[in-house]
Amino acid sequence: MRLPCPLCGSRDHREFTYQGAAVMLDRPAPDAGAEAWDSYVHLRDNPAGATRELWYHGAGCGAWLVVARDTVTHAVFGAELARQVRR
Amino acid sequence: MILAGKGRIDRSARLDFRFDGRALSGAPGDTLASALMANGVTLVGRSFKYHRPRGILTAGSEEPNALVTVGQGAHRAPNTRATVQELFDGLEAVSQNRWPSLRWDVLAVNDLAAPFFGAGFYYKTFMWPRRFWKAVYEPAIRRAAGLGALDGGHNPDRYERAFAFCDVLVIGGGPAGLMAALTAARGGADVILCDEAPEPGGRLRFETGEIDGMPGADWAAQVTAELRTMDNVRLMTRTAVTGAHDDGTYGALERVALHLRDPGAAPLECFWRIVARRAVLAAGALERPVAFAGNDRPGVMMAGALRAYVNHWGVAPGRRVAVFGNGDDVARTAHDLAAAGLEVVAAIDSRPDAARGGDWAHHPGSVVCGTAGGRDGLEAVTIRKPGGETIRLACDALAMTGGWNPSVHLACHLGGRPQWDAARAAFVPRPGMVPGMDAVGAAAGDFSTAACLAGGIAAGNAALSALGRAAQAIDAPAAEDAPYAIAPLWSVPGKGRAWLDFQNDVTVKDVLLAAQENYASVEHMKRYTTQGMATDQG
Ligand SMILES: [Zn+2]
Repeated sequence: MRLPCPLCGSRDHREFTYQGAAVMLDRPAPDAGAEAWDSYVHLRDNPAGATRELWYHGAGCGAWLVVARDTVTHAVFGAELARQVRR
Repeated sequence: MILAGKGRIDRSARLDFRFDGRALSGAPGDTLASALMANGVTLVGRSFKYHRPRGILTAGSEEPNALVTVGQGAHRAPNTRATVQELFDGLEAVSQNRWPSLRWDVLAVNDLAAPFFGAGFYYKTFMWPRRFWKAVYEPAIRRAAGLGALDGGHNPDRYERAFAFCDVLVIGGGPAGLMAALTAARGGADVILCDEAPEPGGRLRFETGEIDGMPGADWAAQVTAELRTMDNVRLMTRTAVTGAHDDGTYGALERVALHLRDPGAAPLECFWRIVARRAVLAAGALERPVAFAGNDRPGVMMAGALRAYVNHWGVAPGRRVAVFGNGDDVARTAHDLAAAGLEVVAAIDSRPDAARGGDWAHHPGSVVCGTAGGRDGLEAVTIRKPGGETIRLACDALAMTGGWNPSVHLACHLGGRPQWDAARAAFVPRPGMVPGMDAVGAAAGDFSTAACLAGGIAAGNAALSALGRAAQAIDAPAAEDAPYAIAPLWSVPGKGRAWLDFQNDVTVKDVLLAAQENYASVEHMKRYTTQGMATDQG
């Protein structure tokens, strides 16, 4: 698998570290309540198909990326810098 | 047996080697298999399950029988294919699956007990009593199991891995691959051409046909020389592409120094990850054996392999040769053997309307239904004529051909399924099985040399246009364009065991038994019979 880093270009997946679903970027407000925090910390979808994930380009530019890909076909649709997604 | 004055390698220089302690000699350019054949060695190994005597079956990486252990001590490499191992001075090889010696093997008694060792034997026999498992069955199985043995010491040899990137990866350097690489390279693309042999050329190295009026091997050498002069081409010989992965990533194993007596600072092998924007699968095809009783006897070998030994290495397994098959390769093989001065005992073609190809005993509509001989090899074959009568013919070797299977393996690595082509009696790749990869030439079922050359040019141009580069106007060189004439012949009915998987000792009867016991799906049949589970994957 190869990931398209917006800064470095197409790179082998061995340069990256997988973190988890990109919902981690949607941190609830401190007072959002137990349910929202429970969902944020513990609950994850396990999709067969399109996903959005956080990857760290540790052996490259050091940026955090949001990668859109398909877990069934292995197709990679694209990647954005996480800091631009989270704004 | 050496055919004086035949073959394309120079036998005036001499390399000394040892096989099972015997001092023998070969020539530069020999494989261990061709050198053994030059020395008249026909028995090279014992089979895995029944310890049956086996000889050399093929001339390439598909070899199931001629597995030997090369090297000594912690350096030793078991299951080395004698057909792939290049000869060097001082090479030491020993045979496997035998004790105390290759000629006298104790476990050959398994062969006499074969009626009890049918498909599923493992599952039916070692079930009970439960306490026998640890004490009796497992130790006995462990002693008998396994192909070859390691020394147990830490391997001190060096192995390496590396990465490469290119616009176009061409997999296989036969006529299709050479033309694809040449076309893409002339169009300015960055090209890697991988071929598992020491020199590109594929079947052109082994056949007698001409391209543009010169021997096919010379044409291949000329194109190879042109490719070597181009800065945008990397020629990786002794390199087998082993896997197609996501996003144009391919695995490839290079035998960097396995052909050298002293590797020096070089690693023995290097595993490459090659990232390519486009790929051309020009991996050729593998010849199918025919399943008939006793088809595993030393001296029975693939027709294409025998042509390779005669035409390229100038050696043969015997003077009197019979040829058996179901297509025009029967006459082609008989022609090459006769031209090399061998006696063609019979050309046996299962097709009733097969044309006589030359001045030899012609048996249309006939099949080989049995073989006879000792542990060192073939002495006679039995032919069944169309009317049902049988005749026995004395011979030293039998060349067999059941047609060709395109090497579709890499095309299937991302989950795609090939399709059945009834006219060719073979599976061929579908377009798009691996994104960015096109199959051409024999790998796509186009078996004539002319079709391979034209397909290579087309694939090279398709890659160029996908890369946004201008197509090259290249005329296909002139070459034979014979139609692929074949009639399916999967097995010859009759008494006796007919081997399908030579390496794991699976017979037609085992497969029928598996089907009868409802292990009918291919995966279940494979698991139940162990067909295709040895190093050659059947
Ligand atoms: Zn990066």
